[in-house]
Amino acid sequence: MATAPELLPYQRIREDLFRPLSGVSRNYLLATFCAFVIGAAGLVAWSYQLRRGMGVTGLQRPVFWGIYIVDFVFWIGISHAGTLISAILRLTDAAWRKPVTRAAEAITVFALMIGGMFPIIHLGRAWLFFWLLPYPNSRLLWPNFRSPLLWDLTAIVTYLTGSVIYLYLPLIPDMAQLAEHNTTWRRKFYRTLSLGWTGSDREWHALERAMKLMSCIILAVAVSVHTVVAWDFAMAIAPMWHSTIFGPYFVAGAIFSGIAALLVVMAALRKVLHLEAYLTRHHFNNLAKLLLLMSLLWLYFTLAENLTVWYGNEPKEMAVFGARTRAHYAPYFWSTVVLNFVIPFVLLGIRRLRTIRNATIAASCVLAGMWLERFVIVVPTLANPRLPAASGFYGPTWVEIAITAATFAAMAMLYMIFSKLFPIIAVWEFKPHPQEED
Amino acid sequence: MYLIGEFREKDAVRAAIRMLRETGVRPSELDLFSEEPVEFPRGVLDRPSRMSLVSVLGAMAFGSLATAFIYWTQHNYRLVTGGMPLFSFWATGVITFEMTMLGAIVATFALFLWESGLVRKRDYSAPVPEVDPGAICLRVRCRAEDAPQAIAAIRRAGGHQR
Repeated sequence: MATAPELLPYQRIREDLFRPLSGVSRNYLLATFCAFVIGAAGLVAWSYQLRRGMGVTGLQRPVFWGIYIVDFVFWIGISHAGTLISAILRLTDAAWRKPVTRAAEAITVFALMIGGMFPIIHLGRAWLFFWLLPYPNSRLLWPNFRSPLLWDLTAIVTYLTGSVIYLYLPLIPDMAQLAEHNTTWRRKFYRTLSLGWTGSDREWHALERAMKLMSCIILAVAVSVHTVVAWDFAMAIAPMWHSTIFGPYFVAGAIFSGIAALLVVMAALRKVLHLEAYLTRHHFNNLAKLLLLMSLLWLYFTLAENLTVWYGNEPKEMAVFGARTRAHYAPYFWSTVVLNFVIPFVLLGIRRLRTIRNATIAASCVLAGMWLERFVIVVPTLANPRLPAASGFYGPTWVEIAITAATFAAMAMLYMIFSKLFPIIAVWEFKPHPQEED
Repeated sequence: MYLIGEFREKDAVRAAIRMLRETGVRPSELDLFSEEPVEFPRGVLDRPSRMSLVSVLGAMAFGSLATAFIYWTQHNYRLVTGGMPLFSFWATGVITFEMTMLGAIVATFALFLWESGLVRKRDYSAPVPEVDPGAICLRVRCRAEDAPQAIAAIRRAGGHQR
């Protein structure tokens, strides 16, 4: 049957978005190989740590939370890209969200998978992680449900379950289309995953209802997850941790780093998969404005947190404050201010400078800045505890650095594999809109 | 028997549904097939849903079970709490909340699978039309003697029968 001419753009969209799934370029293989090598180096480092014990890390009294916990908080923060951005934009029916949401939802799932690994790596005896689970056992030992660590476990399990479903649901119609357009093993793969989707109105209605409900639920879960991560710190009566604003402070930081991650990923996808017609300046501009807003909010929270400590002048808190702003950790602290506020404010605040390239640079700075910010929150407090004689210093070893680098490589690798299996933009959702053009 | 009409315009589908319903066809005997969601005003082809209700029930069930489980565990396998209560809702509220949300997620997903018909027993005798981009196919289930009337309604509305 002939296709009406006015429908050709839709076919073109489909072809454009399905094209990256077929064929593998040399650059793709090279990038995957590099990511694999870095990931493998991280696995070697972890196996070394498992054999030799936690002594191979820089963790020593009194700093028992190092960059594994920094990585954990950072990746859980990144995971807020998808669900929060996608859910908020879906609920408000923002038309420009359509090419952005799947990329964001995929970030969420991968970042959670990676972030969830860190408490296990940090355990030392990783094979005993199941002790955290409530299960009947011969020693009549049960987890302490009052412990924030168990709060983390339940929060992450819930968030990961919700995020996987939230990513999977809008993939179903696209996978049904892909099953029709493929012949090899992919046909079976997509057909199985699409559960026999036919495109009937009952299916569409159920999907739309489910997506709306899931958006509401996932918003609440996302906010709770990072609040719980913040409470891991705030529930301890430690200087500069025991703060009532830590929950919203962490949530704001998570959204901030999540938007930055999304911008970086979008810029990479745009370049590598040639999606210039779909990920336009309009999308980058909107996300850049959101990033700028979150940068200001981050500054506000940072100021509120530090000003009250400084004004209170409580000796133990001032010791940590001094370590952060004037002593050992000052370079990190002031770097976070430059990376999270000064650079984004200049590059994104001045309209003429708000280009795709500058938005990507600003977002990359924010990612680095937010990692450092997590470091500045975690380490100086532990290095300056309430007992003055117990103060110490922490520097990560090659094992910790290799494992950290491996997680970034793992994120890249997971994303590259995902982009070869599934369309990175929801084809069925995407309709060209005049306002979306450059 | 089944009839399939193909349309290019949403309004034409709407007119066809109205005419078919006037001839006595029930909404449950009509199915639309398209590559993207087709929205109609309320009353045209409603698909009642209990997803919100089931989601709330799922949330309540998981939340209650999680709280009961924690309460039971902490009373049967006592920890030394230094005089503090064995079970404190404040201290375990986060777990209750997360499990409540997990219940809502699981219930929503389960009902999506059920209401969309993806996990229900299917009528394999019902033909599933191949839909071209932008087209909307209307499948009508009717008795053989009512078929001419249904075909006429599809044609009058601007569609063509496959």
